[in-house]
Amino acid sequence: MPSMEHVAHPQQRAFNPYTENGGTILAIAGADFTVIAGDTRQSEGYSIQTRYAPKVFRLTDRAVLAVNGFAADGNMFVKKVKQRLEWYRHAHAKDMPLRAIARLIQTMLYAQRFFPYYVYNILGGIEDDGTGAVYSFDPVGSYEREACRAAGAAQSLVQPFLDNQIYFKNQQAAPGQTHPSHLPLPDVLSIVIDSFTSATERHIEVGDGLEMYIVLAKGRNTQGMESLHGVQELSSKLDGERVFVVRRELKKD
Amino acid sequence: MDHFPTNWGRPRNDAFDHYNTYPIPVRPQNNAFADSVQRTQQPIVTGTSVLGLKYKDGIMIASDTLASYGSLARFKDIKRLHQVGDFTAIGASGDMSDFQALQRDLESLIISEEVTEQDGHKLGPKEIHEYLSNVLYGKRCKMDPLWNSVIVGGFKDGERFLAYVDLLGTTYTSSTIATGYGAYIAQPLLRKAVEGKEDVLTEAEARKILEDCLRVLFYRDARSLDKYQIATVNASGPSISDSIKLETSWGFAEGIRGYGAQTQ
Amino acid sequence: MARGRTRWWWKRETRSVTVTQVTRSLEDSEERPNMAMELNGGSVIAMVGKNCVAIASDLRLGNQALTVATNFEKIFPVSEQLYIGLCGLATDVETLRERFRFLVNMYTIKESRAISPQAFAHLVSSTLYEKRFGPYFIEPVIAGLEPITTTPTDGSAPTTEFRPFIAGADVIGCLNFAKDFIVTGTASDKLFGVAEGLWEPDLGPEDLFETISQTLLNAVDRDAYSGWGAVVHVITPDKVVSRTLKARMD
Repeated sequence: MPSMEHVAHPQQRAFNPYTENGGTILAIAGADFTVIAGDTRQSEGYSIQTRYAPKVFRLTDRAVLAVNGFAADGNMFVKKVKQRLEWYRHAHAKDMPLRAIARLIQTMLYAQRFFPYYVYNILGGIEDDGTGAVYSFDPVGSYEREACRAAGAAQSLVQPFLDNQIYFKNQQAAPGQTHPSHLPLPDVLSIVIDSFTSATERHIEVGDGLEMYIVLAKGRNTQGMESLHGVQELSSKLDGERVFVVRRELKKD
Repeated sequence: MDHFPTNWGRPRNDAFDHYNTYPIPVRPQNNAFADSVQRTQQPIVTGTSVLGLKYKDGIMIASDTLASYGSLARFKDIKRLHQVGDFTAIGASGDMSDFQALQRDLESLIISEEVTEQDGHKLGPKEIHEYLSNVLYGKRCKMDPLWNSVIVGGFKDGERFLAYVDLLGTTYTSSTIATGYGAYIAQPLLRKAVEGKEDVLTEAEARKILEDCLRVLFYRDARSLDKYQIATVNASGPSISDSIKLETSWGFAEGIRGYGAQTQ
Repeated sequence: MARGRTRWWWKRETRSVTVTQVTRSLEDSEERPNMAMELNGGSVIAMVGKNCVAIASDLRLGNQALTVATNFEKIFPVSEQLYIGLCGLATDVETLRERFRFLVNMYTIKESRAISPQAFAHLVSSTLYEKRFGPYFIEPVIAGLEPITTTPTDGSAPTTEFRPFIAGADVIGCLNFAKDFIVTGTASDKLFGVAEGLWEPDLGPEDLFETISQTLLNAVDRDAYSGWGAVVHVITPDKVVSRTLKARMD
């Protein structure tokens, strides 16, 4: 006979402090700009909680942070990062450089190593040298600088598409030519929109709205954004890096 | 100069070193009840769905008045809606003892705000919601959650506010919100009736929508009751109704075997 | 012999489980995905074009994370213009390939004509459903050209047109007649993402070849259980072009 020990024991379910709230985020770096995007659906299980819950946040005029995973942790994490950046501003009378924000985020994530923020972070913006940059993180803080990254529910749908369209993986350049290392802004924007419409089509947790942040390097004109309608500028000054946000509808089913 | 004798090499004295301020002594664990302290592992006395919506001049929150003990309808006139300050109403589902603890917490928050009455600031629904989410998120981080889903609604400075927060600290805003079974049964009805019409719906229409949803919930949610309250918050502040009896009709049951009076 | 007997009794003993234990093991299996579908790895995709279809797969055969072979074909011809891709447990790939060969031969002999893609899809479906409660761990993909013969009323010679046909099924034969593409295998979610981004209607054979190849290669490069080579078959009314692709071998 099997022992009754584990049979008789009443099943007690422990409190689970985590949940998943769906959605997907994405960032692509250009030569002198970065696009950071995320959908705006927040869900739990099969229920849509709201059709508009931002996952992408402006930190400074040159840094935008996208958070995806457990929404409560994400919001708290963004709040704490913003607080640290404000303290930095008060201490140094300038905004923190992007690579320093990236290291700050890694330190803050790793500080919670044994009760992690269940959040995937993608930081995008303009580096001190004026180049576009994307930093991606795992929940406990390991990070790297990349040219593009997708994360969240539809990461597995979007990332291989980006490999193909951004890194030109499995594509051969025309004879005597090489692939461009950075794409122009209009191309990047259409790839971002295509990625999200594709993910919306095939993933139930993605949809409702798309929020794209565009960060332009200091002195770069808005070339490539003319055809974009409904652009809203969020920069605090016009002579530095500039931040814009564009919103688009996604399918709601 | 080091002013602390323990750092000079004086031997430790068990008689009084425990009462020193520095170095902080390791006090003996003498909490005899440490093993007996229980955290909320599961809700005990529970309230079911709460519904909330935005309408033309404010927001409305509705819930029935039942507090269940498992499948037992234990307390049939429990107030699950609560006024906070001058601009806000909240409604809670989940554990009722945790909710009443929250009520006391919010009450003391409002009282402590009276000290700064003259500063020109008053706690509005946004602040109450932020406070609540910090409390609930803080408790979940201690693995000692307040087992509730709370809807916060309010009206301040000409602005409507309707938001949600739960035991995990998850938050969101939306023009319609439903907790518990309401999320599955009432939310689709609410969305159909409200989305896109937030600025048109009158108070009477909004009340009708909520009553209809509560009625459907009463028909299908076994932990619900046909007695409810509605909180309305508009420019003239929050007002919470007394318990109201829900009008239900069971005429259809006569024709269905198992529902009506038939015995065979 | 004695050893075997003891073992047998031991088995009997463990079978007398209590109800609670049964419930628990059911709960466990709900948490754990079906390992058989990921044991050997591999992915298949089919796409519709203008007057053509394409079907492609990777070539990996693995034992969990260990790659055992890099020449394991999963796509087989059923008739001249009809192919089937069998994706999932490798042993069932072999079994079903033989079973479908037998069933199609029987059909061809009995009916004295080639099986149509439509009919073959239903044959696949019912063959899988026969094993409803102990299924083959295979999610098949079917791609072919459906011949549509029209006899003109003026007495002139009948003409045959070809309509592209693709279909997919789950392990118990629930058919999916998609109008664009079908994906299966360990890289299916990746394939969905890339295909949804690259595919467009009415691609000619060459463009369809490029689209399905790019979709497959980029998807399997992000999948640890698929890759290590790929084959593509493009089926047109007058020929089938099969190509082996140069792929990442890591």
